[in-house]
Amino acid sequence: MRAIDAGILICHECHQLNRHDPEAHGQTCSRCGARVHPRRPDSLARTWALLITAAILYVPANLLPIMTVNSLGKGAPSTIMGGVVELIHFGMWPIAAVVFVASILVPTFKLVGIALLLFSVQRHQPMSAQQRILMYRFIEWIGRWSMIDIFVIAILVALVRFGNLASIEANMGAVAFASVVVLTMLAAITFDPRLIWDNTESDEQA
Amino acid sequence: MHDTADSRELSEFPLEELAACHECDLLMRRPHLGDGERAECPRCGYELFSYRHSVVPRSLALVLAALLFYVPANFLPIMQLNLLGQTTQDTVWSGVLALYHSGMGGVAVLVFLCSMGIPLLKLLCQLFVLLSIRLDIGRSYGLLFYRIYQHLREWGMLEVYLMSTLVAIVKLVDLAEVNLGIGLACFVGLLLTQIWLEVTMSPQQIWEALAGKEDSLARN
Repeated sequence: MRAIDAGILICHECHQLNRHDPEAHGQTCSRCGARVHPRRPDSLARTWALLITAAILYVPANLLPIMTVNSLGKGAPSTIMGGVVELIHFGMWPIAAVVFVASILVPTFKLVGIALLLFSVQRHQPMSAQQRILMYRFIEWIGRWSMIDIFVIAILVALVRFGNLASIEANMGAVAFASVVVLTMLAAITFDPRLIWDNTESDEQA
Repeated sequence: MHDTADSRELSEFPLEELAACHECDLLMRRPHLGDGERAECPRCGYELFSYRHSVVPRSLALVLAALLFYVPANFLPIMQLNLLGQTTQDTVWSGVLALYHSGMGGVAVLVFLCSMGIPLLKLLCQLFVLLSIRLDIGRSYGLLFYRIYQHLREWGMLEVYLMSTLVAIVKLVDLAEVNLGIGLACFVGLLLTQIWLEVTMSPQQIWEALAGKEDSLARN
């Protein structure tokens, strides 16, 4: 039985149970004072909006250079994939794999994964709740690791300051990439995982 | 559904005897847990409760330790780079400044927040919450700060930053001479205490203590 069917709302912030008061507009949690809702308001619409914005920015994030390495007057712009290829050339396979997973696989997987979750909740796709909740937890957990590339740029820009000999500057691709990471993290937060179980129950009853 | 008879009764129990899973909305009887025990949702496996012994003093010690690490971790050099006799240094803070000066204001703000600003805010929120429980003052502010902390949780990215440092070292090690600094050791220290703190400070116990329930206070 779901808490919502018993007229009980869970506070999003402190997880306290509250009896639903149909009269009250903007009911607040009896323990911490946060607004309580049966489900996060407009969860699907908001998540779609964030996801689509992220998908649009995903294109410049991968095509534009994220940084330029200036060495002896020559500038070599590099994209995210370029950075991975460079690490492979150095023979640094494990680190190359980490960066490849964090910067290329994870953002792609997140975009596709959240879209799949939204789609399966809306269209009642044949994907079990267990599979969907596993995917949701994985997406929620892994999102932050895509920031690796942004931090690497910050470290390199600060360290490689040797004037004409060698210097590194950040480029617009980094802005787009950082936006994709933040937007997909926000999308994972706005998505209400209880929706996954809601339509599992209605499917079972049908 | 095999438990319809049970579930019709469930909604009539007083709220204190019920628990609901935050992630899948399953309603159940509240389990009675002793120290060191934890309960998971039977349907989706989300951790519902976990009770630990003397949470407040242990967490306070860890917060203070983390705050001691904070300044050296962020302002002492993480590494030094030698190229043909020239030396440059990098701290977490100098990375933020360098991005800002290269015209990437937005990214600089993001890096600042994720690696310095939010980790510090989180620690200060935790410190305030623990002090308000310990000294029994300002509980309502304690609740507010703990709510802020819950929202900030995901945005502190110390462990990701450490991984980035590793990647940067690998990228630079063939080009120039890299020396690791004392800042890196402090950063690792900060990261480890912070993770330990998050494991120790079990949210359910803190919320109950903030709301002033006697039995949960006795446990602390």
